[in-house]
Amino acid sequence: MLITGIKSRPVYDELTPMASGLIHLAAGQGSGGKALVRLLRAMTPEQLAATTVLYSTESFTGQNYLIDLQQFKVRDLAVFPTNADAVSGLDAYLATAKMGTRLYLTGSEGFIGTSMQVATSYGMNRDEVLREHAGSFVRRVWCAHCGHYSENVTHRIFVCPGCELNLIVRDHYSGRLAAFQGVKADSEVPGEMPENEELDT
Amino acid sequence: MTAISESAAFKTGETYTPEGKYQFRNSPEGVRRLPFPFPDDDYMYSMNLEPHVPAGNGALRAAFDIDEHYVSECTHRAQMLSDMPGVHYLALPHMLEAQWDLLELIFESYARDFPEHFTLTKNGNEWRWQNRLLGIDDSFTFGDPATLPMDPMEYATRQAQGEFVVLEEKDNTLVIGAGMTTQRADYSLKFNLGMSFFEFHGPVPKLHEMGILDRALKFLLRMKPGHPVRRVNWSLTVNPRLETSVETLPEWAPDRATVNGENAGEKVYLRIELQPLHRLPRSNAIVFPVRTYLVSLAELVEYAPDWAKRIHRALASLDPELVDYKGFHRYHAAAVEWLSRHDDGAPLATGYPWAPEGIQPGGN
Repeated sequence: MLITGIKSRPVYDELTPMASGLIHLAAGQGSGGKALVRLLRAMTPEQLAATTVLYSTESFTGQNYLIDLQQFKVRDLAVFPTNADAVSGLDAYLATAKMGTRLYLTGSEGFIGTSMQVATSYGMNRDEVLREHAGSFVRRVWCAHCGHYSENVTHRIFVCPGCELNLIVRDHYSGRLAAFQGVKADSEVPGEMPENEELDT
Repeated sequence: MTAISESAAFKTGETYTPEGKYQFRNSPEGVRRLPFPFPDDDYMYSMNLEPHVPAGNGALRAAFDIDEHYVSECTHRAQMLSDMPGVHYLALPHMLEAQWDLLELIFESYARDFPEHFTLTKNGNEWRWQNRLLGIDDSFTFGDPATLPMDPMEYATRQAQGEFVVLEEKDNTLVIGAGMTTQRADYSLKFNLGMSFFEFHGPVPKLHEMGILDRALKFLLRMKPGHPVRRVNWSLTVNPRLETSVETLPEWAPDRATVNGENAGEKVYLRIELQPLHRLPRSNAIVFPVRTYLVSLAELVEYAPDWAKRIHRALASLDPELVDYKGFHRYHAAAVEWLSRHDDGAPLATGYPWAPEGIQPGGN
């Protein structure tokens, strides 16, 4: 079973204003604030006036761009204490969104992935969404054996909090689950563990 | 059950699980009809897609093949679905039209190719389906899910051998929209659902570099209804175990450490995958069926000695990256050693067995 070198990890974009958009929705988290600032600077005053920013101050690396974001004359800036709250906020916003809405996502892979799940549930197409990764590449991992999701995984091998098996993280990514796949690390011979390593965070 | 299902042709009590003590074996005829996947002494990936037209009297005679294991395999599928609900069968909500397409394709094919076992009677959208092997006689309205006890795809594939993955065409790629996969070779349907063609092939080494994926996708996107294509693929599995999903890896992976040069003939099974792909007419989806055949190395030696020689050579010269990907690095050497005792080095024919001049099973 291939562990590394699997080509299913998302390829990210760079956030730039989408000219085709009538309404702009920009959601970011932690270090993603920097990309949001860059995006807003590139917008025309008309685009800014049609832009809503959702920002979560939860950060794995401690980056906070809230003060910078408050300098822009956007239609609305909503601030959330956690990434999960921001994703719920995105869900509530998209529930009332109209045709011509363009979505910008930036932050950790887990944040972008779970936000994409919401966007997909509203039928947004890939050409209506831009995604820019920011900050640490900590991973969200789905346990193939018990279904538990672990956030912020930094090492190749870790103990699943759901089933307590030693899991090895494969470089295999599911957009639908917004997670990498974890499988039992010592499945062939119990106790015979592959070498652990820090993931490319 | 009808009289036919109790005849010698269809075995009813076979098992594919350790709990069932792996009560599975092939008849000599069952081995010699297999779609043996090694045309040459050296094996490497290739597109190996060809028109899916009837060929010979074996596994390639019908659009969807059934064999002596049909009844047992359907029983196994029902057991797997009830053991792990939501793991082996999944369908995204917008796939309903493709589900009906698939039901139609399977039932029409079975009724046409095996009229002694299956009958499909249509009166407009009022259909009657008789499956004498499983003792089923149902009437339903085609296109109306309320007239079936479950999803149309689940209903049809519970009565079919092999697994079925339905791909929808979207943004110039193919995306997994539904699957009945109780016989998965080392992947998770739940994880792969919604993935695109390049994403779900991500774990297969070399494909990207060799340019095979690009060409395969372009080819598949041009497929038309009524013009199916097929390819064969293979792997090895320890014990006659059909369900080897990622989810249950901790249950079956330890078997890989039990193979040695003495027991490899009985323990190691060649897992042949016959994949007849069809474009579906209403939904424009593509169904990717994986019809899996299990045959032990010992059965090959006994009933198809030339195929045993061929697989010996193909395994001995196999690229180490493929050995690792297919998951048998731990017992590869033992299998090769065991097979070497049954290979006299005689030259063998080139080509698939169903091709003119292709490699035949030998013996008898």
